[in-house]
Amino acid sequence: MTFTQLAFYFFATVLIFAAAMVVSIRNPVKAALFLVLAFFSAACVWITLEAEFLAIVLVLVYVGAVMVLFLFVVMMLDINLARMREGFGEYLPIGGLIAVLMVLEIAIVLTSGGFGEEQFPRPEGHPAGFSDTKELGRLIYTAYVYPFELAAVILLVAIVAAIALTLRKRPDTKYLDPARQVTVKKADRLRVVKMPAEKRADRTTEGEA
Amino acid sequence: MEWLTEVWFSTPQWFQVTAYSLIKIVAIMLPLILAVAYYTFAERKIIGYMQIRIGPNRVGPRGWLQPIADVVKLMFKEALIPAKANRFLFLLAPVLTLTPALAAWAVIPFSDHLVLADIDASLLYVLALTSMGVYGVIIAGWASNSKYAFLGAMRSAAQIVAYEIAMGFALVGVLMAAGSLNFGDIINGQQGGIHQWYVWPLFPLFLVYFISGVAETNRAPFDVAEGESEIVAGFHVEYSGMNFAVFFLAEYANMILISTLTAVMFLGGWHPVFEFAPFTWIPPLAWLLGKIVFVAFFFLWFRATFPRYRYDQIMRLGWKVFIPVTLVWIAVIGICTFHTPIGHWFH
Amino acid sequence: MIPLTHYLVLGAILFAISMVGIFLNRKNVVILLMAIELLLLAVNINFVAFSHYLQDPAGEIFVFFILTVAAAESAIGLAILIVLFRNRRSVNVEDLDLLKG
Repeated sequence: MTFTQLAFYFFATVLIFAAAMVVSIRNPVKAALFLVLAFFSAACVWITLEAEFLAIVLVLVYVGAVMVLFLFVVMMLDINLARMREGFGEYLPIGGLIAVLMVLEIAIVLTSGGFGEEQFPRPEGHPAGFSDTKELGRLIYTAYVYPFELAAVILLVAIVAAIALTLRKRPDTKYLDPARQVTVKKADRLRVVKMPAEKRADRTTEGEA
Repeated sequence: MEWLTEVWFSTPQWFQVTAYSLIKIVAIMLPLILAVAYYTFAERKIIGYMQIRIGPNRVGPRGWLQPIADVVKLMFKEALIPAKANRFLFLLAPVLTLTPALAAWAVIPFSDHLVLADIDASLLYVLALTSMGVYGVIIAGWASNSKYAFLGAMRSAAQIVAYEIAMGFALVGVLMAAGSLNFGDIINGQQGGIHQWYVWPLFPLFLVYFISGVAETNRAPFDVAEGESEIVAGFHVEYSGMNFAVFFLAEYANMILISTLTAVMFLGGWHPVFEFAPFTWIPPLAWLLGKIVFVAFFFLWFRATFPRYRYDQIMRLGWKVFIPVTLVWIAVIGICTFHTPIGHWFH
Repeated sequence: MIPLTHYLVLGAILFAISMVGIFLNRKNVVILLMAIELLLLAVNINFVAFSHYLQDPAGEIFVFFILTVAAAESAIGLAILIVLFRNRRSVNVEDLDLLKG
């Protein structure tokens, strides 16, 4: 068993375990953490396929950004766990049946001989100077430039939509505008009052008594 | 010595590769951890002198053994775990904070050939790893089962996500200038003296990157995640002993990492300030270390100088100032490179 | 050497697990979103595997686009989730039975 094989089977096992925990664990925060583990192991599996750029992007985008967002939301929401778990196993038989059927079907297709090692031999490793990043970049900016622009527009729409959905003006918060705050001058806040000194009445009354 | 080489060559190849890599990793880690220890000492001394105090001077000659005394103290303290905390995650969090800070050093080149893993997309790799540091903070805050720790974690998560975008955009400028994601190529693009460094054409991006780096490491003046005066110590309020020490170690290792990245990407890495005689005598590694120390000094200077930002001000700075600045400057680089005669200034 | 079928089986198992996840957690919108992310990940594994074994980078480009769209989807999904929680104080699918929020 070579090192690559060992790495693949190890990370594949971790990936399946983490995925199973995501869907079955009680606490949503822990589910999100297991999802992080799943994404990380998937990135490691991709490295065994020599897709380094995509693997790093998966970690950067999913582990570094999307899952932080997930965790943030899940931790902030006060989710009623007891109600969520009502009827948890109710649909397990039918769901499990469909899942097993699906895996069986795919297994039948895969073992029918169309995907064997004769048809898809493991390709030679890339030569030393090969750059996965450069190759992807070249394709994205030539053959796939319109889909790439479309993806950019989709992201922009997503940003606008996410902000528009969650934005609300709260009248009860005491918001300070920092720009106005730092330009405040002494004259705006402070008023020096000149007034004549008053006679101290208490001293004189004391003396008379 | 003879029998040693004989034993070495009789071992299987996987063993040789593994052992060689391990030796290289230790050769990077040991000086790094030592540097972290003395960085904390430097911080106390330098801030001391800035505030007209002496700083620690009791342990050893002029206080030079102070960091070692600190380590020994932290090791012998009891590591408490709160009763209602999630034990596993509570212990995992410090490790998760430290690991990315150390793993990122794998791709940092120390001189022309002195790099552990010369991978193609090293800049992306570092960005991906630094973005993972936030998990340690979030998990620590959540697993502690404490209000203060949780507040600190939430603040930190929002802050790190906000500043990471600005940081990423600043690095887009660097890779546009260098035309490569590899640190070796980025450094060699800055060869030829101080006027060739990327700090000049990318000056706004340099400022954004460095300030985002300070925010990313949760250092003053962006240390609202700890905020001693508001939420006691933020995400690590429940940690003590060695668990706390690992958080501490990670924070300083991250500071040194950000300093190194700044030196590598904007200050010419191992290249000397001028490409003539007295300057070229100094070895490349010494130049790199000198630049790292120079940048690392700024972290301490900031802490001694600026008051802490308010939370909404931090968010405003990240989203409404830094991100637009980087976007505009990326456009400037692109337009100047392809449509004006001054395009070579940016390379 | 790892044959292609092992990667495809891995993708299939992952797909099946997330399908089961959707069945099991049909009340919890948060877990539903996570299961959808897992589904897309399973598809991506197949794409990357085929791309490698056919030596055709087009598969990796597709993964790139799927990642983009999935990130956009989860961002909007979470935004909807937050609005939902603000209005209904719950993320339970059974509570979402009003046409007017």
